[in-house]
Amino acid sequence: MTDTPHKMSARGVNVFYGNKQAVKDVSIDIDMDKVTAFIGPSGCGKSTFLRTLNRMNDTISSARVTGDITLDGEDIYSSAMDVVQLRARVGMVFQKPNPFPKSIYENVAYGPRIHGLAPSRAELDAIVERSLRRAGLWEEVKDRLQDSGTALSGGQQQRLCIARAIAVDPEVILMDEPASALDPIATAKIEELIHELRGRYAIAIVTHNMQQAARVSQRTAFFHLGTLVEYGDTDQIFTTPHEERTKDYITGRYG
Amino acid sequence: MSKSLLPQLPTGPAEPTERAPTDWTTVAMQKRIRRRYARERRFRFFGLAAVTLSAAFLAFLLITMVANGWRGFTRTDVALPIDFPASGIVVERAQLATRGADLALAGAGLENMVKSAAATAFGPGGEEVLSEHAWLRVRDAIKADPSILDRKITIDLPASTEIDQALGGKGTAAAEAAAAKLQQAGVLSRRFNADFLHESDSTDPVAVGIWGALKGSLLTMAVTFLIAFPVGVLSAIYLEEYAPKNRWTDLIEVSINNLAAVPSIIFGLLGLAVFLGSWSLFGYQFGPLLPRSAALVGGLTLALMIMPVIVIASRNAIKAVPPSIRDAALGIGASPIQVVFHHVLPLAMPGILTGTIIGMARALGETAPLLLIGMRAFIVTPPGGFTDPATVLPVQIFLWSDEVSRGFIEKTSAAIIVLLVFLLAMNGLAIYLRNKFETRW
Repeated sequence: MTDTPHKMSARGVNVFYGNKQAVKDVSIDIDMDKVTAFIGPSGCGKSTFLRTLNRMNDTISSARVTGDITLDGEDIYSSAMDVVQLRARVGMVFQKPNPFPKSIYENVAYGPRIHGLAPSRAELDAIVERSLRRAGLWEEVKDRLQDSGTALSGGQQQRLCIARAIAVDPEVILMDEPASALDPIATAKIEELIHELRGRYAIAIVTHNMQQAARVSQRTAFFHLGTLVEYGDTDQIFTTPHEERTKDYITGRYG
Repeated sequence: MSKSLLPQLPTGPAEPTERAPTDWTTVAMQKRIRRRYARERRFRFFGLAAVTLSAAFLAFLLITMVANGWRGFTRTDVALPIDFPASGIVVERAQLATRGADLALAGAGLENMVKSAAATAFGPGGEEVLSEHAWLRVRDAIKADPSILDRKITIDLPASTEIDQALGGKGTAAAEAAAAKLQQAGVLSRRFNADFLHESDSTDPVAVGIWGALKGSLLTMAVTFLIAFPVGVLSAIYLEEYAPKNRWTDLIEVSINNLAAVPSIIFGLLGLAVFLGSWSLFGYQFGPLLPRSAALVGGLTLALMIMPVIVIASRNAIKAVPPSIRDAALGIGASPIQVVFHHVLPLAMPGILTGTIIGMARALGETAPLLLIGMRAFIVTPPGGFTDPATVLPVQIFLWSDEVSRGFIEKTSAAIIVLLVFLLAMNGLAIYLRNKFETRW
């Protein structure tokens, strides 16, 4: 581990749905310049944990979170934290591409507009272009920005969602299985994009696909039954895991 | 990364196990297939029969209404020659240009003059040929052109209900004989009765009009919509998006569902008690809060009645908005109210409008609660505003259908046609709006 302060830190995080505990005592750090992958079998709590990082679990009335999660040292569950502001700083890309049923331009422009990031139309245009370029979508859609975002292909929709997330200039981007609904070529494009975004944003990605975790991440966390089994550098996790369970999972013995 | 533990992916499919191919040609199999197709055909036939039956009922309703009602939009005129100089009526010409014109003409004995002119033209009992309001038309003609007082003119005047009915084949024997005589004389004519569209209720079926009731309906619907739509939609948004899920909100939900099923007359009693009742509280006398028979009270009562319908439809429409859209908006930092107004509401709007159409259509056709709050009054002048005494189309239909005079039968049908046209116009507008809001996914 480095000595630089972590972008986000979770310490002893528990998540409950009613009486059921979905995440048990998880401590993880998310660093700038790094992609952190969460892997594990279905229902192991990795997506739930990801959603605690920008308080998306608040929308589920039965969900309850304990433990400390900080962003730049600031407790995001303290009453002083403005959730709306938090989500602008910690953006999210979902499993299923979910563009708004509006034009491509409006999809990307919506975030900057509600946060007042672009005082003029020209600046808004610039933000939209920059975001679409960073998401690798600009060349494909620049001539049809007024077309509906839902008319794009699945892979393009997902890149549009990434463009929409980075348009508000977040510090952290959370990705919840961003490529699981896409074909291999679209998946490759998303992975390429994650490579390019690294460094500019701290990225945390949940994935079912271990090859993907190995390809895109520098740090990997293995979850099982709600607990964090092992957390370390990706190279180490995939070559010499310390835990037997990690090794069994990676080699496909269960999952 | 060296020497990864990741397993090699399998390269080919596993060996299939041996399995006998299905024989589709056996007798049992063929029978099964035939039965399946027969079931298919039978279901299609029943469906078609059901649709045909409903279409037949609808066609029957429309044809009966139009067949009975078209005469309600027309009237029979009798051409009556009047010799003003010989009639002996004296009118102060100077007064005709003033506000006192009506009074001056009424005082001049116009009514009797028209009756005697009819008796002269059509023989004894000739005044029975004309509507009792016929002289009003003569009055209007004089006001429009006073110079006719100096000559002999022939003027078209509305025929009496008896003559009008006799021409439609529904009169008494005496009236039919009189009508036949008039027809031979060539003084009868039938024309579109524009008065029906801008007059109000009357005791004489020839003179009635629908405008008073139509305007009452318009005003009432406006009040209903302006109260029920915003309150209903806001309640639905609050219950769906903000309210915590607990025993109290469950209770509210059950209550709303029950309210939607309450008979409309109960809402009439509620409106009567709340808006028109008076009660004493801490020694002070309160109420009535609002004037009786007014479109305002009718609208408020109907708004109470259809609000549950709008709330239920709106909640379902809001529930049907995919949660992924909410997540997307929340995920980039939209506040809950921005999520609702920028994303959820626009997507739910078509469903909300459908519920509103159903509610408004029900309110438009409602009679019972309005009878209780006094909207069954005999309204001769159209309401000038929301607080004037008014009636509405269905109540007017109810009142006319209760009349003894045969002339009201076709007027009732004509009023039903007007009500149906109003309903179609309202639904057309709502469907147009719904399609405008519909989002292509």
